[in-house]
Amino acid sequence: MEKRLETIIALELPYRETLKIQRRVYRGGSGPRVAVTSGIHGDELEGLYVCHRLTVWLEELGRTRPDALLGQVELYPGLNPLGLDTLERNVPVYQNDLNRYFPGHPGGLLPQRIAAAVMDHLQGAALVLDVHASNIYLREIPQVRVDRRFSDALLPMAKALNMDLIWLRSPAQVLDTSLAYNLNQRGEPCLLVEMGAGMGLTPAFTEQLLTGILAVWRQLGVLAPELELPAPIQQAIIADDNIHYLNAETSGLFVPAVANGSLMAAGQPVGHIVSPFEAATLAEVCAPANGLLFTLREYPLVYEGSLLGRIVATPTTK
Amino acid sequence: MPTLLNMTAPLRDDFDIPYHDLGPQDRPPRLAIVAGVHGNELNGGFVLSRLADFLAQLQTRGKSDQTLRERVLIIPAVNVLGLNTRNRFWPFDKININRMFPGQTNGETTQRIAAAVLNVTRQAYYRVDVHTSNQDTEEMPQVRLYGPNDDERATACLFGLPAVIERCTNSMLTNTLGHVWRQYGGENFIIQCGLAGALQAHHCETLFRGLVAFLNRTGIVTGLTLAEDEDDLHYFGLKQSFAIISEQAGIFVSRLNVGRWVQAGEWIGDIYDGFSGRIRAQITAPAPGLLSSLRRQPLLCEGDLIARLLTARESGDSVDQILHGQGQ
Repeated sequence: MEKRLETIIALELPYRETLKIQRRVYRGGSGPRVAVTSGIHGDELEGLYVCHRLTVWLEELGRTRPDALLGQVELYPGLNPLGLDTLERNVPVYQNDLNRYFPGHPGGLLPQRIAAAVMDHLQGAALVLDVHASNIYLREIPQVRVDRRFSDALLPMAKALNMDLIWLRSPAQVLDTSLAYNLNQRGEPCLLVEMGAGMGLTPAFTEQLLTGILAVWRQLGVLAPELELPAPIQQAIIADDNIHYLNAETSGLFVPAVANGSLMAAGQPVGHIVSPFEAATLAEVCAPANGLLFTLREYPLVYEGSLLGRIVATPTTK
Repeated sequence: MPTLLNMTAPLRDDFDIPYHDLGPQDRPPRLAIVAGVHGNELNGGFVLSRLADFLAQLQTRGKSDQTLRERVLIIPAVNVLGLNTRNRFWPFDKININRMFPGQTNGETTQRIAAAVLNVTRQAYYRVDVHTSNQDTEEMPQVRLYGPNDDERATACLFGLPAVIERCTNSMLTNTLGHVWRQYGGENFIIQCGLAGALQAHHCETLFRGLVAFLNRTGIVTGLTLAEDEDDLHYFGLKQSFAIISEQAGIFVSRLNVGRWVQAGEWIGDIYDGFSGRIRAQITAPAPGLLSSLRRQPLLCEGDLIARLLTARESGDSVDQILHGQGQ
């Protein structure tokens, strides 16, 4: 097994520093290439830990069964290294979301050049997993989001990914300037994973995803078919048009009454909104339907309209 | 004073987004002008507040020869909290309001703001969204058209601003106010003017004159006398724009002003090494043209926009097409 660290693009900064986007590559045989990308948003760290855990697993494989890596694994832990290093979601200086720059342009602005280099290097991948960690405002259960236009190719892999939820997204819910959309559009399957919350790690979620990733890679022929792996145990709930959004009726402090991932009964309290100036509760937030609470407010301060949670109603398993 | 929406805040007083509703109230609005979707863009809001005062005086003065004949809606600032806290985006969750259109009445905070802006402005036939670029690049006052129809091409010239620039729409603009307005017919315009984060009085004067000229030439206001000979308008179609992108990082310095014509090979600025102090590159005009955009932020990364030239001939490139999402 060959292991190398590569720089996919290096860009000069104003004062003597260079911004590099790097990837770790493990090459076994000439089988399919797969990739994991993360850190498009500088406040999302879960994917960085996923990449670390994959390096641990792959290096152990290199010691024990190097022949079992039939293809190539590419890990891109930080697509927005400036944002990660400075605790900023967007690309610093440009104040814009890197995931709004794809497919990019090799002769454009710095974020467009990064996007173009990433697209260029992912050409021909059999599967790209783009791992996100929500943001600082919301916590997500482990879920994979599938663009409905490409669901024939993506859904079988999504089901094997050991996630709690598969969210089938309509075209209106998918940004056509995102990495995932542009890869899928070009013919490279890309699954978007969301789990945890911004600025934190949830190691249990990482282990759950790791099991799924290895199972999918074995299905794809990246790993030898006889390689023994932990079996995926999660049977994902499918979310489609059966999602209820809980938006704040008023501004204040949101205090949750349940944990994210709870199965809710219609009318059951999800939490309430209070004011630091008042004894009275400003608003009660209740589940509008039976279902799984898969998103829950993490940052307590809310404005009118702030998203407090999402519930997938009447869960059905497929 | 009418307001787009009222909203509670976690600790502050409730807030609203007020607007001016001027002219005959028994008619549908003929014109809606919006500024301050980005909280750090000050030229547009300042000019719109002065325009509202001008039109209000016209109404109350009741001079028979100068009349506000049509209804006009003016929103000087959409992102009120961003303006007061010097934030380009909605300060609480750092969302660019101009990526949230058409919005949603019962959605998230910025979706509600977007829906409220759209709900009021879509009634008008003419719609204008005034921007002030960003804090990096100064823009000469200009009208931008994205995938326009012939009526818009003709009407854009009525502002009398130094340039009308036509562009294709691109995927970066899909959720902007200007793009979503197109679904409601009428005629829609984007104006870019100046540099964010400060006021440029000379650009404000040009913009004010342009808006008054537009009001007069469209018959919304009658009885004004315009100095027609002051117009120095140029129309730039597709591919008549050249973006100068830096291939070197450093400190960029230029003494030029936007709005001047330059010759091919003419000096535009220098890139210095911020450590050694030596000149790393001299930037010159690749073609003759009108210097419509110029970098004012000296810190320069590889790949940054230095300047944009509007050219008489079709010498533009594909890079400039994608850069036109910037600053909106």
